[in-house]
Amino acid sequence: MSHSRSKSVVLWTLVTIALVTLSAPTIVVLGASFTGGNIITFPPDGLSLRWYARISQASDLRNAFLRTLQVATVCTIVAIPVGTLAGIALAKYAVRFEKAIQIYLLLPFTIPLIGSGIGLMLVFGKAGFLGQLWPVGIACCVINLPFMIWAVTASATGLDPDLELAAANCGAPPLQVFFSVTLPAVMPGVITGSLLMFILALNEFLVSLLLVDARIVTLPVLIYNSIRSIITPDLAAISVVFIACSAVAIYLLDRLVGLDIFLKSK
Amino acid sequence: MQAARTAYPLKWRIMDALEGVAAAIWPARFRRATPYLMLLPAVLLVGLLVLGLIQIADASLRTLDTTTFQFSDDYSIANFRRALTEPLFLVVARRSLIAALIVTAVTLIFAFPYAYLMVRTASPGLRKFLLIALFLPFFIGQVVRAYGWLIILGNQGMVNEALGLVGVAPMRLIYNYPAVLFGLVQYMLPFAVLMLAPALTAIPEELEAAAGSLGANWVRTFIHVVLPLARPGFIGAGVVVLTLSLTDFAVPAILGGGSQDFVAIAIYDQFFRTSDQGLGATLALMLVALGSILVGIVFALFGAGTLAMGRSRA
Repeated sequence: MSHSRSKSVVLWTLVTIALVTLSAPTIVVLGASFTGGNIITFPPDGLSLRWYARISQASDLRNAFLRTLQVATVCTIVAIPVGTLAGIALAKYAVRFEKAIQIYLLLPFTIPLIGSGIGLMLVFGKAGFLGQLWPVGIACCVINLPFMIWAVTASATGLDPDLELAAANCGAPPLQVFFSVTLPAVMPGVITGSLLMFILALNEFLVSLLLVDARIVTLPVLIYNSIRSIITPDLAAISVVFIACSAVAIYLLDRLVGLDIFLKSK
Repeated sequence: MQAARTAYPLKWRIMDALEGVAAAIWPARFRRATPYLMLLPAVLLVGLLVLGLIQIADASLRTLDTTTFQFSDDYSIANFRRALTEPLFLVVARRSLIAALIVTAVTLIFAFPYAYLMVRTASPGLRKFLLIALFLPFFIGQVVRAYGWLIILGNQGMVNEALGLVGVAPMRLIYNYPAVLFGLVQYMLPFAVLMLAPALTAIPEELEAAAGSLGANWVRTFIHVVLPLARPGFIGAGVVVLTLSLTDFAVPAILGGGSQDFVAIAIYDQFFRTSDQGLGATLALMLVALGSILVGIVFALFGAGTLAMGRSRA
């Protein structure tokens, strides 16, 4: 890199603004959750863990969190086989109508979330599935599926097809080739994709809002409903649950596949 | 007996059985169709969205009888006429569209240097720091982030309290248009950086050095070398940010405080407040169409960029 002073100054100025903007809400929510006062003030009224004690007692919060975990689990379990197979197929084979299939599989991203959510609400409503948690998981899976497919195709393009031929030549039947050669080769993509699917489903708000009713609210919807009334520090303490989940997901991503995977060119 | 079992372990027996089942239901002569079989579950799953769109289209053609609260059995385009003529919807649509364009431009301006520094830095530590700072908010979700902004910018928020300490009267920093735009830019930054980064990685660093050694300063190198080569990234990032911010719900709902509704909120209100499913479906369909047209124009002009999946490299 040619080291020009003005270049560094401009780059770093913009990056610093971006960094502050990105991190400010997280840091503030973390800080507010430890406040000792009844309302969030600046400077805070001392430090305490009382809000954490409060939320650990609240069964509605705990239940909402458990429901959110269920939704994310359903989403991930469905997404792993579906996205992996589709990703490998797109990356390895010359499929007819490839362009059309690609555009079709990108529909979850090109259809606005409110449209997908309302559509799924009508479909699940007609089928009589509303009021349960698994349709919410399926919905989260559909709207984020391209992330899973991307992650898998990105690692499948590095798979040498000769390896599979060599395995077959050594007498491995098709399933064994798939499980011993193809699948291990795309494993980093599968891990990345499933972590993404899980964490995105954990945070999914709008589609949850449309598909749940008062009895089965998920945590993001519960937080949203509470924000509307009054801002108290217990909300900050619940939000820290999401910050913690996010930190765990990042740690796992980094340990299992390395965060650099997102910088790879296709 | 014991020897035979160790010679042919259970795992092999299971695999043999599975291979047998697989060969029976999917014989080798179907092999050319295998990729389509692998794509089938994904196609079916996304098919739910297509079914949803059909349901929306059906609902959009039925009008609500306000005396009986029943939907008409016959189709009419009355809802579309209402959606296109009622001033409220035009205001909301214009507000969302302008916001989407501004947010896209601002987000790209900040995302590009972030992605560039992240890709080009020689320090692995800095790269990891930038990645973590990017993923942490990305994985936290919109509602929590918007809540953080409420704590910072709210009427009794940190900024106003801090201003109060130095004697400045509190200002209204939220529940207005700029607050929504700001919240959206923050929400979109990770998406944009993640779409830009692969495109920047694909540009060989030597090209920049070559431009430099031929006498171009860094501004000219950026304009004539880096930016044109990063086009697939800008397309991917631009499309994602444009459509996501055009159709966002949580940020305008929380930071707009009811005064800055976007299209998504108007649709939600039609379904859950006024209970006019037909009109809500009409608005949803028009939003889908608008989004698809925007994406279609970009794809037709520039290709899918970093949004492309699979083998074809745009």
